[in-house]
Amino acid sequence: MARTLLPPQFPSLTSNSVTNSQPLLRAAAVEDRLRARRSNTYIEAMKRLDAGAHIHDRQALDKFLADIRREFPDIELQHLPLGIVARCYLGAPYEVHTLDQVGQIIDHYKRGESLPPLMERARSLSLYPGYAFVEVYVDKLIAVTEEGDTSIVKG
Amino acid sequence: MSDSAIGVAELAAIYSGLKAIKGEINVVSTQLDSVGQEVESTRSDLSRLEEAFLEFVESDKKAKELSLAETRQVKVRQELETKFGHYAEVRRQVTGILQAADISLVRQETIRFATEGLMLNAPRYWLAPALVALAGWLSNNKDLATKAVNEAVRRDDEKTSLFFALITRRAARANACSVWLGRYFGLQNPEKLDRQTIVLIDAVASGIFSTEVRASCAKTLDDWVQELSQRAGFVDEQRKQWTDALISKMPSTDNGGRYPHLKKYSLTWQKLSDSLNAVAIHAVALDYFQGIYDGAIPPSPTLAAAVDELLDKLVGNFDDQELPLRRNDRLYQLIIDENGDRNAAQSKFDLESKALDEHLSFTQLLTNAAMHPETSHASRATQRFAIALSKKWIKDAHGDLGAEIRRAVPTDTDISIEDWHGVTKDGDNEGDLARSLTEHLKKREADAVASIGLESQHWIALVVGIGCLLFVGKSLLFGAIGIGFLIWFYTSYSGLKKKRDKVSENYAKLGGEALQVVKACLAEVVEYRREFAKRDAAAPEFSKLLDGISPEQYVLHSHDKTRQIISR
Repeated sequence: MARTLLPPQFPSLTSNSVTNSQPLLRAAAVEDRLRARRSNTYIEAMKRLDAGAHIHDRQALDKFLADIRREFPDIELQHLPLGIVARCYLGAPYEVHTLDQVGQIIDHYKRGESLPPLMERARSLSLYPGYAFVEVYVDKLIAVTEEGDTSIVKG
Repeated sequence: MSDSAIGVAELAAIYSGLKAIKGEINVVSTQLDSVGQEVESTRSDLSRLEEAFLEFVESDKKAKELSLAETRQVKVRQELETKFGHYAEVRRQVTGILQAADISLVRQETIRFATEGLMLNAPRYWLAPALVALAGWLSNNKDLATKAVNEAVRRDDEKTSLFFALITRRAARANACSVWLGRYFGLQNPEKLDRQTIVLIDAVASGIFSTEVRASCAKTLDDWVQELSQRAGFVDEQRKQWTDALISKMPSTDNGGRYPHLKKYSLTWQKLSDSLNAVAIHAVALDYFQGIYDGAIPPSPTLAAAVDELLDKLVGNFDDQELPLRRNDRLYQLIIDENGDRNAAQSKFDLESKALDEHLSFTQLLTNAAMHPETSHASRATQRFAIALSKKWIKDAHGDLGAEIRRAVPTDTDISIEDWHGVTKDGDNEGDLARSLTEHLKKREADAVASIGLESQHWIALVVGIGCLLFVGKSLLFGAIGIGFLIWFYTSYSGLKKKRDKVSENYAKLGGEALQVVKACLAEVVEYRREFAKRDAAAPEFSKLLDGISPEQYVLHSHDKTRQIISR
């Protein structure tokens, strides 16, 4: 099948596109960016959530939130994860722990205890041994392995 | 005096009559119990019959679909033969002419005569004038060759260009081959390729072209990928394509045979079975990809043999008029493979239907080559090439699919026995479930026992009996009747205990059976979780396999003597 030589749409040149710098990614590129491999520093930081002391330590909590911001410097706030859910290695009866950016808390949950509504959907995924943790977004979950590889589940 | 004598005789008769009635009542009561048991047994038989009937209907439907598919497939293949069978004669002549010319066994006039006959037998078919051009070239008749080439190009430019690119390569005419390939590439739009482009990719992957031509082709194919990548949503589309391709390989086994109690007693069973089938995809995909990369691909002994194979493929498989019939043929084949399960076959057909689209994007062509080689006519070398180019998208698609499967597996398994429901996660809460079941059955037993009691007629009989005894002084008959009523009351009252004991005995038996069912279900849940985890463990093996693939693996040793020093 022969190709057409002229593309159907020409990019339009406006003063905005010429003069504005675009430090933050447009929504279309956000998912590609979020799919990128996570850095070792970030993964190590998220794994330290398991230490119970952070529940009451405001400084440590702020550091975690800063770690998330540092991992995604080019992504707008509304596209950042709402929180993190991970398997809890404190042992029974604890099953998972969460970092909730919205409520700004870290919590440990027992088996059978419900998580906040948006986080509950990540629970079963976070228990899979191959994932270090699961990032919770408004419209998706991103499961992250120990090596930093990501998998996206919509919904 | 005679009145009281008559009264005693009558009393004896009444007493023996009442005794007989008591006996009759006992018999009726026993018969009622046995009728009750018969009703229960009939109900359970009916339920088994219903199950067996539905299974029969399902398997009968499948058998009919299978038989219909086999018949229809024969008809479709006959129709292909009737409508397009004359093309086969033309197609056979291609390699026949080339091989005869190789060893100069056939006179040029014979070849020319045969090809001119094809023009008359196969009007509108592009291959006929192409063969006349070939015959003209072999007999050094430039005018004839030029006229015939123009006609072939007019009928189908792309196929003719690819055909002569292969012919000129076979004849070691490097410049001519480059020109024809350049013409072919110039006609291509990577978003809308014809299916026969797979032949070109086969030629590149199999090392048929010379080193320079191969390098130029590889660069063009790379440029196509870059061009397609610029389009918004392209990468998402690739992931979706590969996800669909992986899903098309998912098995659809009936797991009920290995989990009979869950199948019978769990409302969650269908989701559990679907998840078990879904997670099997990792092992299936691993086997499939390992099969593609295991072992060396034996190269053709000569360049001519390699090109002849490709020519056969080009002329034999890509004529669009045949497409509707070939699509039907493929659907019937899938129904046969699925043993008559039309729904499963239709789903697989929908997933791979893109392999039989007339036009498709370059990356869709690669996906089809890798995952549906029989339908897209790709060689193993092309499959390796396609996978190497698509590695990142395959890994993303597989990772996302794995996560989706893990999220969808039910964490809670329901167990339902009559009106009792219990829930388990990993089959380790037998104590809690046993307690809940026992309490439930105790309550039911208590309700059933409570409903067994004296009814109003018994109390009336008691009152009337006592009343009659009070008037015994007036006549002994009253006494007899009163005693009769009281005996009847006493008989009914003492029968109650027997009924209550029977109910308790039934509930004890039901409790024992129900507990066994719960234990069996829990054991199956434990086994299910173990099997799911075992199947899921194939996922990282698949990722490791993909990580180990390098682009250099896809290019076979060229038939040229020169080697490529700078690789992609």
